[in-house]
Amino acid sequence: MSNRGTLDIRNVAKTYEVEGRQVNALSGVNLHVAPGEFISIVGPSGCGKSTLLRLIIGLDTGYQGDILLDGHRITGTSLDRGIVFQDHRLLPWLTLEQNVALALENSRLSGAERKSTVTDHIELVGLSGFESAWPHQLSGGMAQRAAIARGLVGRPGILLLDEPLGALDALTRLRLQEELVRIWKAEGVTMILVTHDVDEAIYLSDRVVVMNSTPGRIVDEIAVDLPRPRDRAGAEFSAIKRRVLSLMGEYAEAA
Amino acid sequence: MTVTTDLRMRPAPRLPRLRGVNLTGLLLPALLLALWQTATSLEWVPPVFLPSPAATAEASWTMLTRQNLHLDFLASISIVAQAFVYGSVAAVALGVAAGLSKRVEQFFGPTFDTIRHIPGIAWLPLIVLWLGIGAPAKVVVIAKSVFFPVFLNTLEGIRNAEKRHIELAEVLTLTRWQLIRRVLVPSAIPSIMVSLRYSAGLAWALVVVAEGLSGLEGIGFLIFRAQGLLLTDQLVVCMVIIGAVGFAIDRGMYLLQRHILRWKQGFEG
Repeated sequence: MSNRGTLDIRNVAKTYEVEGRQVNALSGVNLHVAPGEFISIVGPSGCGKSTLLRLIIGLDTGYQGDILLDGHRITGTSLDRGIVFQDHRLLPWLTLEQNVALALENSRLSGAERKSTVTDHIELVGLSGFESAWPHQLSGGMAQRAAIARGLVGRPGILLLDEPLGALDALTRLRLQEELVRIWKAEGVTMILVTHDVDEAIYLSDRVVVMNSTPGRIVDEIAVDLPRPRDRAGAEFSAIKRRVLSLMGEYAEAA
Repeated sequence: MTVTTDLRMRPAPRLPRLRGVNLTGLLLPALLLALWQTATSLEWVPPVFLPSPAATAEASWTMLTRQNLHLDFLASISIVAQAFVYGSVAAVALGVAAGLSKRVEQFFGPTFDTIRHIPGIAWLPLIVLWLGIGAPAKVVVIAKSVFFPVFLNTLEGIRNAEKRHIELAEVLTLTRWQLIRRVLVPSAIPSIMVSLRYSAGLAWALVVVAEGLSGLEGIGFLIFRAQGLLLTDQLVVCMVIIGAVGFAIDRGMYLLQRHILRWKQGFEG
């Protein structure tokens, strides 16, 4: 694959002012993500993992340090980064097809190219035949697939996933995890997944980044060198899970 | 299974359906018509104050064939249509502008809130002095009454756009104009549609009043003339027309609303 999708986070800090007090949402965050890598960020709520994702997508540009995508500092949103939110965030007044196509509104593709890439991505997420469905007619899992198609249709170098499976039932979640692996392999896109499901993080990613709170920071990174498809009940899987949980638990106790 | 449960399990008896149309709503009108007929046949009320249904039907025929009732009808409809189009187009345009910009809202706010509280009918005498007793004065006054509910609901609708949708627009790098067209205006459509339906009915009701107060044609003129001449049958004909047209306008607006908001899932009753 190309070298698109190299993310460099250098000494990033983010402070909020809450009722006159400074709150360190993030402090001293360093992370390097290679092109095509699948990274998961786990941590207790309030550890700043979603804040970090907002900085990377460019919705929040007031931070210290540098976030570089392919060498360029992030200064706002851009079509070279896609995102899937926890809520599918499809616009209810657009059909599935129109929702996906909305991501191409400002792309340089011609009309015909747009149409074909929209069709391709709807097919990629397994929703062919539902092009003209309204969002309210889709199940939670289908809506989230549509959101993934919208996130990928502009062929971004990097796709950010903000707890995208968090609101789904257990069975749908497992199924969509398989889908994510398949889509990731098919598209070769860099993926950064924020989740609080440790199993999900280990099952999907090349590397699990563990964060903790006050101040929000990265406490460790754990490489997952297991062949795919992974056995969730295997010994190595469990060992990694124990390590991640202990990292989270240790710091939770200290807090 | 016992007999009682068996009875309870049986679906509730339904009224016959005519090509998918539920007839429940026709029960009460049929009942009222029967009551009207009874009241006139038994002369509970003297015919000069309450003509029979048959006499009313006959009067409508006379009005249509000899007195050009359809011309008066068209005069009223045309005023309402013009007033509705002018009033609502201006209201949606200004409502969107005020919804997008606090400054626009502050500029118009105090003026609009004052004008709004002077009823359209209170404007009529002055505007008739300016524009005469013809249709234009009525169009202006009714357009004013259409304008405010639509303006306020458009403004409110734009302001109620969801933050997460605006954030999405930012992620997709939509321009200001794309944000307005793809996110903000569609968010406001439900409340705009409610206000359009309301004002369409209001416009029709007001034209009757406006024509009664000034002018020499239209359904409203006919109804007051009929009262003056004690032509009660013609008066009732006008009332029936007003009611039926009002009903048709509301149903039409409802169907339009349902079509435009077909993306919206709601409580169906």
